[in-house]
Amino acid sequence: MTHPTPHTVTKRFTFRTFILLLLPVILLAGVIALFLATGGGLNLDPAAPVENLNIERYSLKPNTIELSVRNTGPDELTIASVIINDAVMPFRVTPNATIPRLGRATIHINYAWSYGEAYGIKIFTSNAIPFEVEIPVAFETPAPSRTTFLGFTLIGIYVGVIPVFLGIFWFPALRTLGRRAMTFLMAATAGLLIFLGLDTLAEALEFAHQVPSAFQGIGLIGIGAVSTFLLLEAISNQQTSVSGNETQRRLTIAFIIATGIGFHNLGEGLAIGAAYNVGEIALGTFLVVGFIIQNITEGLGIIAPVLRDKPGIGKLALMGFIGGAPAILGAWIGGFTPSPILAVLFLAIGAGAIFQVVYEISKLIRKDTERQSMPMTVFSGVLTGMMLLWVTGLLIK
Amino acid sequence: MKSLSRRDFLKMGGIAAVLGTAGITTIAPRLHNHTETQSSPHTGHMLQQGNHGDLPGTVGEVNHEKNGFNPTDILTDFDYGKVSTLPNGQTLREYNIVALNKNIEVVPGIEFPAWTYNGRIPGPTLRATEGDRIRIHFSNGSNHPHSMHFHGFHPGNMDGVPGTGPGGLVEPGDSFTYEFDAEPFGLHLYHCHVFPLARHIAKGLYGAFIVDPKQGRPPVDREMVMVMHGIDIDFDDENDFYAVNGIPFHYQNHPIQIKVGEKIRIYLVNMLEFDLINSFHLHANFFYYYPTGTSLTPSEFTDTIIQGQAQRGILEFTYKYPGMYMFHAHVTEFAELGWNGMFEVLP
Repeated sequence: MTHPTPHTVTKRFTFRTFILLLLPVILLAGVIALFLATGGGLNLDPAAPVENLNIERYSLKPNTIELSVRNTGPDELTIASVIINDAVMPFRVTPNATIPRLGRATIHINYAWSYGEAYGIKIFTSNAIPFEVEIPVAFETPAPSRTTFLGFTLIGIYVGVIPVFLGIFWFPALRTLGRRAMTFLMAATAGLLIFLGLDTLAEALEFAHQVPSAFQGIGLIGIGAVSTFLLLEAISNQQTSVSGNETQRRLTIAFIIATGIGFHNLGEGLAIGAAYNVGEIALGTFLVVGFIIQNITEGLGIIAPVLRDKPGIGKLALMGFIGGAPAILGAWIGGFTPSPILAVLFLAIGAGAIFQVVYEISKLIRKDTERQSMPMTVFSGVLTGMMLLWVTGLLIK
Repeated sequence: MKSLSRRDFLKMGGIAAVLGTAGITTIAPRLHNHTETQSSPHTGHMLQQGNHGDLPGTVGEVNHEKNGFNPTDILTDFDYGKVSTLPNGQTLREYNIVALNKNIEVVPGIEFPAWTYNGRIPGPTLRATEGDRIRIHFSNGSNHPHSMHFHGFHPGNMDGVPGTGPGGLVEPGDSFTYEFDAEPFGLHLYHCHVFPLARHIAKGLYGAFIVDPKQGRPPVDREMVMVMHGIDIDFDDENDFYAVNGIPFHYQNHPIQIKVGEKIRIYLVNMLEFDLINSFHLHANFFYYYPTGTSLTPSEFTDTIIQGQAQRGILEFTYKYPGMYMFHAHVTEFAELGWNGMFEVLP
């Protein structure tokens, strides 16, 4: 203490403090009770009930369409009619056609759908409020069988694991580079990560639109991204203060990059699984090739900070695994139990991690450029990193 | 009807880019397996499609008692009015009609906040003979202005259109007596003509008006009235359900029983709002068609006719064989949204 207080007041938590803390809460309860009792002067009865039904997922089985729905409106609602392609269809709801607020139900329709055709489904509640969902291309929803499980695993390996490891294979070659080239590579990594971070954030925003409004998708992005950023920042500061070792620090950064990229690939996997489920299969093998090319740069990004050190093969393999394998997990989750809420959260965490890493790398680069002047290296490096992803992205978009 | 955006969807495959749908080669979608057996607990009634999914239709029953009418009864419910003779020897027929707001359960679980004549959709089928004096005591028990506009000959101040006098727009709580001679003979209709017209009709204010020729029509075994209409349940000016006599799928769920050899006459009126045409198709049979019923000679022998809004005509037919026979709009979209029925022809 630089300014000791003249009177040392022992600040204890007394009963009086407790009452003072509680007072506004009690008053608040009173105000709410008053409002509910009087209607607060706004005596407005809604002309039509406010209802909201989220159709979270559809699944197609032979002669059956199933819709998973969630009531995200303020009150309970009742499913009263289901119309498929302008035909009123008999249906069954489990557990109950009357769904409580935030409750879920499954609508089963015995419908002879045809492979490859499109279906528009309209659901009427008992208050005649319509909710619609579209099945753009009908085909049987993959059930969690061993074949589909292996299939999703393989997708994850192709899109996540293989490219990241391929990138890491550059390690021996890049070790021979000079200091300037290494700084350039670090800057390029920062560029890559900025691009990936923006991409991840955009994806999170896209998923946020699918999240029922009650769950506040945009708010989830803020919570996930900001808390991850600050948590990683705290961990990295702790590491530095404990070891003070540059090598150790760079290794930590590499692991954080791997983690951030891992979350990014998890989000990618989620999206792939979900996309497969809804039949977005118009893309083809060409795009898988595009993904491999783009994601190889992720491996490069992971190893860039530790090029001047000698991390063991085990450590490099672990980094590759952390960076790539989550794509498999994502594909499973997205394929079998797609949840926009999880997707938003994972993607937000990924974005937070990626931006924190960019911040760390910028500190490393600053140290390098203090020792040696490299006027255009950082600019060209960052730009190269971003352009690399943009150009390889052309293969996919 | 909303068009599906499949093409747009494929075009924007790129959005999936981020998503990168990679697994096409690894997971081939399994095709529809027709050999799988499937129990369908909801296939009601006589119509079944084996293991190829349910047929369109409703499950369960609307509350006819609460609705206050049953389409099965409406078929043969002809209102001849209170009959008396005027000093000049002319027959006088008096009818009481009240406009009422009423919630009608149109499909199980969904109530339609309808505007009705006498609490039902369609309104009562008014029936008279050519030359009779018609006197309709109309009172408005709803909270909107309404009127009754008849198709047929009558003076301008009896036309029930705003601007033609007190009968053109009857305020809530007011009443008006429409009076005119029933002519020409034929099958006609009446409906509210207060604006916005489409909404006043779509909400349920219409009914059939039959004027029999003086000498009558040749006798038949059974006469029925069918008023075709739509139900726009969410007020987006598109019909969500289609029906005959008020309740979608009613005659599919409750087939109309007739006998082989019986002569059937149907008074068919189209009051469908929002869609351009409606139609009637009879299965395994042909009928004589009398457009507007203004001639005693049929114009056509056919099994399908189309009608625009307010068009109407009389159908006459006889079944040769017993069995279940469908009748429905051959605008098949309407059929699957409720305008479908069955004749059960008994031996």
